[in-house]
Amino acid sequence: MSGGYLGRILWVDLVAGACREEEVADEIYGQFLSGIGLAVRLLGDRIPPGADPLGPENVLAFVSGLLTGTGALFSGRWMVAGKSPLTGGWGDANCGGTLSPAIKRCGYDGIFFTGVSPRPVYLLVDDGRPELRDASHLWGKDALAAEEELIREAGGHARAAVIGPAGEKLSLIAGICNDRGRIAARSGLGAVMGAKRLKGLVLKGKRRIPVHHREEVQRLSRECNKWVQFQPPFVTGTMTAYVGTLMRLLPTQMAMDGLVYKLLLKKWGTVSMNQMSVEMGDAPIMNWKGTSADWGIGKSRTVNPDAFRVLERVKYHCYSCPLGCGGICATKGPFGEVHKPEYESVLALGGLCMNSDLESIITMNELLNRAGMDTISAGGTVAFAMECYEQGILSRDDLDGLDLRWGNSAAMIALIEKMIRREGVGDLLADGAKRAAEKIGRGAGACAIHAGGQELPMHDGRNDPGFNVHYSVEATPGRHTIGAQLYYEMFRLWKRIPSLPRPPLFYRKRRKYLADEEKAVMAAACSKFMNVANGAGLCMFGLFLGAERIPSFAWLNAAAGWRKSPEEYLAIGAAIQNRKQEFNRRQGIDARSLQVPDRVLGRPPQRRGANRGRTMDLEKMRSDYWEQFGWDREKGLPKDRP
Amino acid sequence: MSYHILANCSGCGACARICPTEAIAGEKKSLHVIDPRRCLECGACGKICPVAAVRDAFGIVCRRVKRSAWEKPRLDEKLCMSCGICIDACPANCLDWSEPVMKKEPHAYPLLREEKLCIGCGFCARECPVGAIAMTAPTTVSERGVDD
Repeated sequence: MSGGYLGRILWVDLVAGACREEEVADEIYGQFLSGIGLAVRLLGDRIPPGADPLGPENVLAFVSGLLTGTGALFSGRWMVAGKSPLTGGWGDANCGGTLSPAIKRCGYDGIFFTGVSPRPVYLLVDDGRPELRDASHLWGKDALAAEEELIREAGGHARAAVIGPAGEKLSLIAGICNDRGRIAARSGLGAVMGAKRLKGLVLKGKRRIPVHHREEVQRLSRECNKWVQFQPPFVTGTMTAYVGTLMRLLPTQMAMDGLVYKLLLKKWGTVSMNQMSVEMGDAPIMNWKGTSADWGIGKSRTVNPDAFRVLERVKYHCYSCPLGCGGICATKGPFGEVHKPEYESVLALGGLCMNSDLESIITMNELLNRAGMDTISAGGTVAFAMECYEQGILSRDDLDGLDLRWGNSAAMIALIEKMIRREGVGDLLADGAKRAAEKIGRGAGACAIHAGGQELPMHDGRNDPGFNVHYSVEATPGRHTIGAQLYYEMFRLWKRIPSLPRPPLFYRKRRKYLADEEKAVMAAACSKFMNVANGAGLCMFGLFLGAERIPSFAWLNAAAGWRKSPEEYLAIGAAIQNRKQEFNRRQGIDARSLQVPDRVLGRPPQRRGANRGRTMDLEKMRSDYWEQFGWDREKGLPKDRP
Repeated sequence: MSYHILANCSGCGACARICPTEAIAGEKKSLHVIDPRRCLECGACGKICPVAAVRDAFGIVCRRVKRSAWEKPRLDEKLCMSCGICIDACPANCLDWSEPVMKKEPHAYPLLREEKLCIGCGFCARECPVGAIAMTAPTTVSERGVDD
């Protein structure tokens, strides 16, 4: 072992209540890195075909990144992985905060849970001494209260990840929370934790993390930090909306340099994109059938980035982050200080439901964070119910008397409270739009906007077809944190891998919709690169700085003592992608079934707004993407075992 | 590699009390032992031992240093980027976030909140990627030119 990883994982058998350490061979890290690569390598074969995601055969992994704790910046992401109850295939989710280094400080690269506990338990690891403890007194508590109590019981100075009531009640859109309301939300893995009757894990360790060449890692971090701290005065919050309008009106597109996005993130966080995204056509409106014209600047004004800035008491940095896109906001409501909502949450609970009431958005965001429920999926499900109500598929009686017309924020809050408690119609909707549509019938399926069961994030593939490709081809479908044409431009991988295509600085917008081979190469590069990032524990927002400014590959080499080339790292990313796809094949997932609905593809095209007339040949783009990995063009099946 | 207690240990227990990971065990007035799996090599046991009975990882016997002369972290807020690496690295849990300081944006900075708990290990300074922390002994002359 050289550095970056610890070479040891913890297995927790919830049936027997026993913990066992296992050494992991160096070759595995060399082939798959740590983090998501380690998880897919170890779980891929261990979860049998047809395993019930909420049963004892599923394994839930909490993994840290290879770069976490080495002095590399942006390396504070932890990941949870297992078979997703929401999609039935590979599931993973990713979160920041301070849990990732805590896993390694306890002496492990990952903690893996097997079986189902006969009673509610939590795992305490006190400096390498793991122990399962009774959690009956915590069952039913919200995520913040449970986290506080777990840390208190551990004697303070500990880090915890917990589920809230949503996970306990096996809501398929439940996530896992840490650091008072940050949440690894996607793939429904909170329900897996709830099914295992595992309320949380609390970690208290102070181990040193070995680094092969710490000085070199730190030198690279200092170089990178110069770019992060570069922050000249920039646009105001109101101007962001008009920048978006301008981007919509221009017939040409400028290749985006992530340094510009960094300026926005550092000043406002992800909410900087609220109005800009609506204006440029990136944000879906009214359950994906509306347009920027339906929720124009007049309506989106309430979620202006500056509206959040005035609430912000202090910037929030995840572990090892020099940027600090998060924030702690002081609110007048009953919750007091809360995490600043993210762009995804604001739009899912705002524009997607035509809701312009900022206070209600903050309330719903906090309710969902405390319940441990995904804001993207919850917003998508509420929007689904609203459209069903509008079309008469669901009546007011069906909705327990709620008048769920577009933008009725009071009814939205009431519905979300019901979903969290699984009460009445909330029970029907707590498993997401796809499951609800199956139970409702009567044509409700047409209103359920999802990929493979997972509600879509707030980036419109009619504006950037790359999103639609990744929503439809990834083993974890419906995810916005893997790739897009915009992301490819910002990653600037051609700066390190000259064989990759370099987009022109200015190009006609229609170029984005051409299903040519270059798009497939770009999409495959994004998937591979994000697998490397998720193996390293790197944050995507850091990677948006561009490959010449954030030394992800050099950090890995310096931390682990390797001499791998960027091309070799992308090959590792491809191997991880192969394993995930192989997992889905073994679980009987038809890769073609993950395609986003026609509405999202612009079939038929919208008649007005930013994305009018836009449609794409997703089938060809998808086949081209599969071909990049050497998979079958028709079915997306890996040809050979990786 | 780990620190090691030599046979001349008097069994006073000072090392066991200061060890941040509870790696040291032993009866009163008898030889104490360091668990090498838990030892962080922070050096606190060596600095506090009154009878020079601790050997460091390189085999060198540690010299006692008066507690009031142990080095403490000093933060340069201009260099600090509020990443929290130092707070996580501290084995004695003596660093915490300050109240927000308004510059361009309201940021919190690391603060030596529990000064008495600081063991002067320097892990915070060593892990800080931008060199924003310097370890200084209280007797050294500060930038302002006065002893603090």
